[in-house]
Amino acid sequence: MLELRDVSRRYGQTIALDGLSLAVPEREVVGFVGPNGAGKTTAMRVVMGVLEPDAGEVHWRGEPATRAARATFGYMPEERGLYPKMRVDRQLRYLASLHDHDSRAAEAAAARWIERLGLGERAQQRVEELSLGNQQRVQLAAALVHDPPVLVLDEPFSGLDPIGADVMAEVLHERARAGAAVIFSSHQLDLVERLCDRVAIVDGGRIVAAGRVEELRAERSRPRLRVAVDGAATGWTDELDGVDLVERDEHGVLLELRDGADDQQVLDSARRAGRVRLFARARPSLAELFREVVER
Amino acid sequence: MTLRRAALLVARREFGERIRQRSFQLSTAATILVVAAVALAAGLLGDDTAERYTVGAHDREAIAIAEAAGTAAGAFDVRLELRRYASAEQARAAVAAERVDAAIVDGAIVARARPPGDLEQALQAAARDVRAATALRAEGLSSAEARRALAPPPLAVRALDGADEDERRGVAFAASLLLYLQLIVFGLAVATGVVEEKASRVVEVLLAAVPPRALLAGKIAGIGLLGLGQLGLAAVVGLAVASASGAIDVDGAHADVLAVVLAWFLLGYLLWSAIYAIAGVIVSRQEDLQASSTPVTVVLVACYLVAFPALDAPGSPLAVVASLVPLSSPIVMPVRVAVGEPGAAEIAASLGLLALAIAALVPLAARIYEGGVLRMGKPLRVREALRVGRAG
Repeated sequence: MLELRDVSRRYGQTIALDGLSLAVPEREVVGFVGPNGAGKTTAMRVVMGVLEPDAGEVHWRGEPATRAARATFGYMPEERGLYPKMRVDRQLRYLASLHDHDSRAAEAAAARWIERLGLGERAQQRVEELSLGNQQRVQLAAALVHDPPVLVLDEPFSGLDPIGADVMAEVLHERARAGAAVIFSSHQLDLVERLCDRVAIVDGGRIVAAGRVEELRAERSRPRLRVAVDGAATGWTDELDGVDLVERDEHGVLLELRDGADDQQVLDSARRAGRVRLFARARPSLAELFREVVER
Repeated sequence: MTLRRAALLVARREFGERIRQRSFQLSTAATILVVAAVALAAGLLGDDTAERYTVGAHDREAIAIAEAAGTAAGAFDVRLELRRYASAEQARAAVAAERVDAAIVDGAIVARARPPGDLEQALQAAARDVRAATALRAEGLSSAEARRALAPPPLAVRALDGADEDERRGVAFAASLLLYLQLIVFGLAVATGVVEEKASRVVEVLLAAVPPRALLAGKIAGIGLLGLGQLGLAAVVGLAVASASGAIDVDGAHADVLAVVLAWFLLGYLLWSAIYAIAGVIVSRQEDLQASSTPVTVVLVACYLVAFPALDAPGSPLAVVASLVPLSSPIVMPVRVAVGEPGAAEIAASLGLLALAIAALVPLAARIYEGGVLRMGKPLRVREALRVGRAG
């Protein structure tokens, strides 16, 4: 388990992290989401030891993460970084060797990831000669080339085409299945919802919600119903007790039940109003949960 | 991974990637070509003063004289070519037809007008030797005894001002120019390399694996090794060509100068590359490097300019001070050594001061590097980077 414990960090007057605590279990993929400037990149830099926190600690497998432990982590920084004039294969071999692979192991690892990420024909080209999507693949290979037990990826999906995104998603899952603790940040909440075992929502340098998406949904105080009634008058919901209308569109209405309100009474009212075509518990999307906790 | 191993890996990349760059290969080739051309030109210009003459001869004595004159011609700054003729008449005819400059016929030098003075001197001297040898053999000496009697050891030449002063000045000038160029080229390479890693943001990936000190140390070592290799190659080629073309006689003194130049390059490079690394790390883009590295380069150029007066007056106060002050000593001291001016104590003092300066500056540069290497955006103040480096 990778843990951030009460980590704080300021830049001058700006507070980037304000006692942030977060856990990334091994074998799981954690999505790290939050508005711009919430502290995601700073938190990831602190995990990697690229940035020193003002307070708090990073722990790995129950102990404070040492420099040597961190050197085993795989990292994809927000600002992509590779030597533009260096060949793809040499670059990956070099990075593997910096992560303590001897030259034979470095060569094998570089070859394996070049193959796995479909870069075979580009291996002997310089990075600057590659398309942005392919540069992104090299960047991922650079993070993976030493078989890291922890993967810290800042916005790995930005700039990827759908096929590239599929490959990325596949690889992240593969690494988690192989035992790695994986955390990545993203603004694509549908993708995070689909891909992640857990989600951590950060705002103002603190975690405002964290857990499995189902748990986050359960934590929501009020259940919602989506109801569609053919032939009903527009105002049929007005008579309902303890029910708020959240939104209305051409497909029907979204209702929120206050404490004690009975969904069966809502159903009865709907049947009286017309022919009920849809009556379902509305599962809030991650995007909705996100808006809710961040706007609060 | 130890700091040393990390630095070694970084150095290996710097060396390997740069030596593969076409621009580096071209600049190395250009440096060596220029050095070789200068050395060759110096040799050819020196040799062009020797006049060439052809001399005709037909009898045994005449041929012996012409051959002896040819062998000893260097002493008179002339070159002689011998042409043999079947008869005295043919030799005379060759002179008349200007096919030869002179001929030795029946014990006389025959020329169309009076022969040039240097040619006549060379032939007369050879004739004296040949005739004296003939006379000595006639007195019963063996030819070996005759040769010994005729070729006593020459007087040694001791010039109070140093006979090879021009040569030494030439070597000293070349040494200072090469040192200056290498310091500026490879110092700037360090600064550019630091900025390249910041601008491409690869530095964050690297720092996740290795400490900043290893990154800086490896970069300086890898680039320095390349500079040392290039300098050594240029110096060896230059000396070899100069020696082959006759511009200088390579002896132990030149090997000493070469060793001094390489040693001072190594120390001077350590000092200057640390300064250039600071100029690099306080900016984030190549466009800003110009502004931060120019003051450094200006000081380096000034140090080089001080080397010129030191060539003419190696004992002047300016030269002495400049060869002790660590910034200029790497360029000025080798010049004075090449001219043969300073004593061992002065050299030791210069080296000691330089080593002290390096010991003080390199950790400072490392700290500034640590403080500035992840700071992106507008150029940093050195003091600010130092503060961050100390805190971090």
